[in-house]
Amino acid sequence: MRVDLLPTEGGGTYRFVIILLAICGILISSLPVIVVTIMSFSAADNTGFPPEALSLRWYSEVIAMFTTEDANSAQSVVSSTITSLVVAVIVMVISTGVCIPLAYVLARGDRRIRSGMELLFTLPLVFPLVILGIAFLLIAESLRLDIGIWRIIIPHVALVLPFVLRNCLSAMSGISLEVEEAAVSLGASPLRAIWDIVIPMMKAGILAGLIFALIISFNEFTITFFMYTVDVSTLPIWMYSRTASSLDPSTLALSVFIIAADVVLIVLVDKLIAGRASLF
Amino acid sequence: MTSDIHLHINKVSKRFGTVDALRDVDLKIERGSFVCLLGPSGCGKTTLLRIIAGFEAATKGSLILDGQDISNQPPHKRGFGMVFQSLALFPHMSVARNIGYGLKLRGVKGAAQRDRVEELLNVIQLPHIADRPVSALSGGQRQRVAIARALAIQPPLFLLDEPLSALDAQLRDNMQIELRQLQQKFGVTTVLVTHDQHEAMMLADELVVLKDGAIRQSAPPSQIYNNPADSFVADFLGAANLIEVGAMKGGAIDLFGTPVKSSPPHRDGEQMLAAVRAEHIGLSTVGKDDKAGVGAISFMRDLGAATEFVVTIDGKDLRVRRTSAQVQGLNVGSKVGLTFDPSMVSLFKAP
Repeated sequence: MRVDLLPTEGGGTYRFVIILLAICGILISSLPVIVVTIMSFSAADNTGFPPEALSLRWYSEVIAMFTTEDANSAQSVVSSTITSLVVAVIVMVISTGVCIPLAYVLARGDRRIRSGMELLFTLPLVFPLVILGIAFLLIAESLRLDIGIWRIIIPHVALVLPFVLRNCLSAMSGISLEVEEAAVSLGASPLRAIWDIVIPMMKAGILAGLIFALIISFNEFTITFFMYTVDVSTLPIWMYSRTASSLDPSTLALSVFIIAADVVLIVLVDKLIAGRASLF
Repeated sequence: MTSDIHLHINKVSKRFGTVDALRDVDLKIERGSFVCLLGPSGCGKTTLLRIIAGFEAATKGSLILDGQDISNQPPHKRGFGMVFQSLALFPHMSVARNIGYGLKLRGVKGAAQRDRVEELLNVIQLPHIADRPVSALSGGQRQRVAIARALAIQPPLFLLDEPLSALDAQLRDNMQIELRQLQQKFGVTTVLVTHDQHEAMMLADELVVLKDGAIRQSAPPSQIYNNPADSFVADFLGAANLIEVGAMKGGAIDLFGTPVKSSPPHRDGEQMLAAVRAEHIGLSTVGKDDKAGVGAISFMRDLGAATEFVVTIDGKDLRVRRTSAQVQGLNVGSKVGLTFDPSMVSLFKAP
């Protein structure tokens, strides 16, 4: 009979500890979401918790914001939502487009080059985001670039690359050279072998990278705060501007919409691309 | 009989940095024959196979296929079906799509591809697994699918890199027979790499023994078994006793009392090694007068069909194998006489 390293009989001695830690973890990570969701149903103008009465008034306000064109606001919620989505999708496409070939070359190439490159692409994670934001702003201003939406897309790509690259690399590491050689020996050109064999086998890793890119970009605030302009702004910036002086409960309702949209996006990407490797 | 050379490996050498992986390997492979490259790990056998497949380029020398130099042809243009040690099946494809992949690349689609895949599944005796994922197969089934995938494209050369090494002994025995039957059925020129001498003897028409990147001997298995070219080959092919028999005198050596004549390249005064296989040593009962060739049994084990002995003679241990019926009444400690048939003894210059 197999002996477990941790006692498991009758739940085991560690069961209590494990349950306690799990509860702590779940509470810490989901409490904000729960509070925001409850408060978004408040009937009151103030943001006291718990709400005294419930209503859907903030939801109807959010819908009104989206449906009636607010002419006097240059940073209308509709345009910043569209910008956010466009940025997120382009960031997703570019970062995976860069990372798939990069991961392939790094995984098949020299080990030392690989660790060096990994370090290089991880740098944006180590820099404080504020400093990264200032740096990108400095670059954009000193070069006097007028590149519209790309002034947000480029920093986002830099921010997202390490996550996407890491996922693609770990997917690559499970693919032996022999599988590729097998395809080549059957008559596939090296590129064809990558397309037919390597990419499908990397699918789960690519998918995880796509989701990371999408969510990180869509929710990114710090760097975007330095880079946004009157013409190009994202939804997190818009929400911040609505809450900076006094908390507007309609942003809470909007947050619930965003959370829902995030979940829908993840499931959608997963269903579209994953096939058998689907997470859900 | 004129030999029909299919592939000529023309003085191929390969260097990795400062290491000579292959030195001047020259080998002519006949059409339709089954060639085994045999040797210990690091002898260059896999490198040679990868050069044939086109995954490595030779540092020197060339490959001539049907009279054409293919040294610079990329591997996917050669289209030699290859079975890898890890089998390298495509995990995201069904069995049918694995076998059909090479056909798809050749533009064989739809019903034609389906028919060919079905035909191959019948050949490997797994007609009902076409739609299964590769992950659902057993070891032997994966093996067969990998072989079918390589044979589906009707390759000019069929290459195998230790394909059976991952299987358990029983399955490996069966697969060896099956592989040989398949090869004969398709009539495809085949090169297989192995470190298992039993497997090589079982499969090969032509056995090529490699050591340190050079061919030590290339001949049919029985010839290699009975007339090894040197002491390494004799030893590597297993169950041979290598005995230091001292210097040669009068054109012969003395093997525990049995004179064995030597052929010309060896001269008197040279220190010699004799190689005798365990089954080529006879045992006789000992009379009181016998002095030469008497040893004592220090170990014996009945293996069913045969009995294996270790006989200690003049401080040397010799392995002897006799059929069980021949050895009634012998025990550990018994004195026995050893008899040798000089024609079954190979002599080499001692290193």
